[in-house]
Amino acid sequence: MASPAAIRPSVGAALHSCRTASVGYGLRPLGAAPSRIHAAGISTTASMMKRHKYPGARDNKDHNKTRGESALRRTGTRWRLSVSDEPLPKPVAPEDLVPVETDPNHGLWEFFASREAAVSPPAEDAKHGRGWMVEELRGKSWEDLHKLWWVCVKERNRISTASYDRNRNSLGFGDAEARARDNEVKVTMRGIKHVLTERQYAWEDAVKLAENDPEIDLSGDGPVFTPSEFLEEEVEETAEVEEVDAKELALDGAESVKWTPDAAAAAPPPSEPKAQGEAPRL
Amino acid sequence: MQPTRALLGMRYRKLRLTTKDVNKGYYKGTGSGSMGRHTKHGGYIIDWSKVRTYVVPPLEGFKLTPFVSKAIQRVHGQFDSAAGPRDPNTYLSRWKAENGFD
Repeated sequence: MASPAAIRPSVGAALHSCRTASVGYGLRPLGAAPSRIHAAGISTTASMMKRHKYPGARDNKDHNKTRGESALRRTGTRWRLSVSDEPLPKPVAPEDLVPVETDPNHGLWEFFASREAAVSPPAEDAKHGRGWMVEELRGKSWEDLHKLWWVCVKERNRISTASYDRNRNSLGFGDAEARARDNEVKVTMRGIKHVLTERQYAWEDAVKLAENDPEIDLSGDGPVFTPSEFLEEEVEETAEVEEVDAKELALDGAESVKWTPDAAAAAPPPSEPKAQGEAPRL
Repeated sequence: MQPTRALLGMRYRKLRLTTKDVNKGYYKGTGSGSMGRHTKHGGYIIDWSKVRTYVVPPLEGFKLTPFVSKAIQRVHGQFDSAAGPRDPNTYLSRWKAENGFD
């Protein structure tokens, strides 16, 4: 039967009102609806239709269900929860905590100048020399320059870490000293790059020169370097060797000579062994 | 959605272009360098020869520091020719003297 929902009471409400209506006059079943029954204008239940306030009632209640509850002060909940009976684990007290094990040889320690303090004081930071000069670096080998570069990189990392920490924790002065130290390290790094670039350019130009040098053979077959003085000397040497004692020849099977222009000019006898320990030259 | 009010009007046009601006054709790098190439499906293939690797030598027992004592005077190098340290003749003659024979 079609009827507008607005005026149709819910089934529960209708049944309830029917039950009370069927009982005789004067007798009311327990838990029955109040004597004044009225149809609700909307779909609802009997419990919702009950009056919760009597006329003239005052609202004494504090409507804050969580009054007094504090997580910071650990009051616990005001009402029982479904998990109230479950045994919850208690955190370890700070004094009972096991200290974290650290590796004394960890690589990250190298980001700090000292293990005691997070940031070294500016007086310590200022104790440094000047950066390397290019002339001082020119005499260094590739291996030394390579290692020095990475020593500089690590020092700059240390300075940068300290500056970051100093600013983050507002530890005070020291930025100017750190920057001065950093600048000296950068001077050294610049010098290293300069020296290596210089060597590269000089080598490239020397290769071009060597292509037109009669003493140097870059084809790949035969020795690269044959000094011209040596070639002239060879003619004299062969004459001398014939005169030399057979005993000396047997002893000095491997003759070693370090070639220098001056030494070649002086031309000591080839049978004399040289002290340098150079590879024997046949 | 609207852009922030501070950027409305002509004020956005006065700012520098970012990687997110302009519809197509405009590329702005971030300074990290090219590590490979893009595929036509939107992927990326890394070219390992372009990827940077850092060769750090063992530093145990290395005594040099980034600094030199301030007591040591700064002395500039003295060279025979105008080319100075880059002179190829100097390089060649030193090579012949020190490194000519293996």
